[in-house]
Amino acid sequence: MERKIGVYVCECGPNIAEKIDIDKVIEEISSNNDVAVVEKYKLLCSSDGKKFLEEEIKKQGLTHLVIAACSPKEHEKTFMEVSENAGLNPYLFQLANIREQCAWITEDKDEATKKAIRLIRAAIGRVRYHSSLEKKEIESNPDVLVIGGGIAGIEASLQLASPERKVYLVEKTPELGGLVTNFEKNFLSMKSLSEIINSKIEEINTNENIKVFTSSEVEETVGFFGNFEIKVKQANSEEDPIQFNVGSIVVAIGSTLFDPKKIPEYGCGKLDNVITSLEFEKMNKSGKISLKNGKPPKSVAIIHCVGRDEKGYCSEICCMYSIKFARYLTDKIPSVKVSNLYSDLCIPGKTNQKFYEQTIGKNVNFIRSSDAEIIKSKDQLSIKYNDENGSKSNLIVDMVVLAPAVEPAVDASKIAEIIGISQGDEGFFEEEHEKINPISTSTEGIYIIGCAQSPKNISETLIQSEAAAGKILSSLIPGRKIEPEVKTSQISEALCIGCKTCLYVCSYGAITFDESKKISVVNEVICRGCGNCVAACPSGAASIKHFKFKQLYQEIREAVK
Amino acid sequence: MSKFKGAVITAKSGTEKTIIDMLEKTIDKGVFDAIIIPMRVPAGDSFAYVLIKDKSLLNDASVLPPTMFVQGAKAVSSVTRLGKGKTKIAAVMRPCEVRATIELAKLGQVDLENMTIISMDCPGVLPSSDFLKDPEKNIKLFNEAAKKLDDTIMRPVCQICNKSSMVSGDIHIGTLGAKKDAFFFISNSEKGEKVANKLGINLKDNIDSWQTKVKTISEEKHEKRKKAHKELKTKVGGIDNLVETFSHCINCHNCMRVCPVCICRLCYFDSDKVKHPADDYLERTESKGSMRFLPDTTLFQMGRMMHMSISCVSCGACEDACSMSIPVAQIFSMIADETQALFDYVSGRRLDESIPIVAYKEEELHEVEDAND
Repeated sequence: MERKIGVYVCECGPNIAEKIDIDKVIEEISSNNDVAVVEKYKLLCSSDGKKFLEEEIKKQGLTHLVIAACSPKEHEKTFMEVSENAGLNPYLFQLANIREQCAWITEDKDEATKKAIRLIRAAIGRVRYHSSLEKKEIESNPDVLVIGGGIAGIEASLQLASPERKVYLVEKTPELGGLVTNFEKNFLSMKSLSEIINSKIEEINTNENIKVFTSSEVEETVGFFGNFEIKVKQANSEEDPIQFNVGSIVVAIGSTLFDPKKIPEYGCGKLDNVITSLEFEKMNKSGKISLKNGKPPKSVAIIHCVGRDEKGYCSEICCMYSIKFARYLTDKIPSVKVSNLYSDLCIPGKTNQKFYEQTIGKNVNFIRSSDAEIIKSKDQLSIKYNDENGSKSNLIVDMVVLAPAVEPAVDASKIAEIIGISQGDEGFFEEEHEKINPISTSTEGIYIIGCAQSPKNISETLIQSEAAAGKILSSLIPGRKIEPEVKTSQISEALCIGCKTCLYVCSYGAITFDESKKISVVNEVICRGCGNCVAACPSGAASIKHFKFKQLYQEIREAVK
Repeated sequence: MSKFKGAVITAKSGTEKTIIDMLEKTIDKGVFDAIIIPMRVPAGDSFAYVLIKDKSLLNDASVLPPTMFVQGAKAVSSVTRLGKGKTKIAAVMRPCEVRATIELAKLGQVDLENMTIISMDCPGVLPSSDFLKDPEKNIKLFNEAAKKLDDTIMRPVCQICNKSSMVSGDIHIGTLGAKKDAFFFISNSEKGEKVANKLGINLKDNIDSWQTKVKTISEEKHEKRKKAHKELKTKVGGIDNLVETFSHCINCHNCMRVCPVCICRLCYFDSDKVKHPADDYLERTESKGSMRFLPDTTLFQMGRMMHMSISCVSCGACEDACSMSIPVAQIFSMIADETQALFDYVSGRRLDESIPIVAYKEEELHEVEDAND
């Protein structure tokens, strides 16, 4: 092939011109093979400079372009655009950085000039073996996968679904609604929750832009913002996983409760009438708060902070729902006495304090305590505890409700691995930044909301659902184009030995194994061109476009000779 | 003492005949559909791996042939390179061939699911060129030497092999430390136990005498190996010595072709990547004034060392195939020991031990990290 390589040296104002003898560079470079023209210019990134370049490429009929200027981080894209505008494939261009690691780092003009010559020679050596690469453009997928059909996932789905945006809502259990379906009322307003929740579920079920998968789990996600490939597997189904594509993922898998059996002093699971908060919610919702013998309790103790020391964090919501429990009890059993045993009360916000004050009264008291231990005392329960002053006290009640810490969902680690997001020390999904980006993750386009991110109440959860919806609606605009990586990996069918090493090292899930041919195959839309597979491939089958052996070899050879 | 289960088998009709009888029995009982095993070729001057379905042909099979023309791992890999079949196969090989097979399994080049691997205490093999001078005589010489545990006529790497009784397959036949007319049947896997079960072999005998003898021999050999490598290093260590050592390499790449763990379909050094325009070669002459052709012979050996010394089992196939008598296998055994030690790895020791390239460890190689400080 007849090559006509054009080399243009940018003076970068005084930045390069003062430190490098550009005329000497031009003289040295001109004799290189295939070099048709070497010129200098004051500021190639200026609009005049770009125009000059564009005209030069056309006028000289250049087949390859080398620009000696600044760091590729600064202007590689600029000059690629210029090439493209001039009808030269932008990948037939190479930028030699003679500014940052050359002109700027020495006072020795001679040495800088020598190095600049080497760097430009290396760029010429490399560009000679460049091939045209075609940019691909795919339309970003506006659809969204929501994992978890609790209140967080339901709200996010409703906010997001529209005729231009499909939402896939995947719920592990057979029913939508999650934890809140066990609650009769929510705190503060003490209004019925069922109606609200049921109407939201109804809205989901009738919304034709939301596809609900119940009894289903996400099995695989690969790809990136705007283009995730998803596999969902239905429980007890022999069929292949359902596959679809989305542009964004919202993780709303909720949380679970600390198991109070881990603290034997509470006697949970052993003593009658010692129950967890969730069991109490269910009992209350079923319509009758009663003891094991069927009679209503005359006195109830609610123990807060169960497992707080073990977990090492305050679960935020237990104090408020414990106050709500006192209201459930006094509303339904007017003569009942309720004692709240807490270690620290967590009732922040503009209205919570009022709710507490309205609840505390002659039948509801709050006792600051520690080291509670429950034993049987005839038909009742005796709670031994240390009071605020450290003295031993005793309380006899009919029923004890334990308010355990909120823990990450059982599946959190599994989901974290499938989706490729990280978990913090406590096991909840880790946000990109606790203050600035509380619902984003380190992977663009994947959001974490509700109790999957940290313990929180219903209103805080809904705020996050709306926040995630806002993030997605403003960034994943239907019709938006995305450009998959051009410099992707390729695996030679003839050379691949099928050892699957590349599958282990690919961070993007971009490589699959063709079982019939026994070879690895790259999904070019998902590959980000990191080169892991190329480095790991033991049989030389993997290579990466634009970082071909010949290109690197020639570049290094020219640089070191 | 033992992690293996074993049984003492009496072998009145001789070890080899008894093993062959056992193999026949496995076919009778449907334990295996076929057996891949070395067999003396009809001309009598060579041994080849043969996949035997007709059990009557087993009579001509040789459990411990005097030579290794084709490394067994290459043979079994050829059978299941495209995945396992329905047939259940037993493969009878030497320990180094088993280890290469395990390496290939890790690299997806052999499917062991339906394959049971049987190995035997190995006395070494004769260099092919020696054997071919007079096959009949050499078979006798080999058998006598094997009986006396005399390794002086074996391949040089066999003489310094400290893994000649390493058990990494499913079943191992131990002859060391056994009483007259007896050997040990040693199981190393569930598959091995199943076979024993089907053959009515009770794996409850004491095999301490085998283990003690193996330990003594491998320790002796280990010392010998260290000494040999030390001497070798003074001869081939450093780039000048290395270039000199490989100076009569004719670039035939036979060593690569016979190597069981050289898994590339196209060797880098056979590819277009090492073919350069004439002007480039001319440029390369600039520093020294001349350049040798064929080019890159030492580079080829160094590339191979980098590439496969992690999986090298020191079988000696490369040295046997070298028409220029370069001590390739001895050099590779030395390099392999060092590179494998770097990763606390022994090629082919266990199937569940990942090859270092896919086993990420955060804490390793610090000693190399700071080499330039």
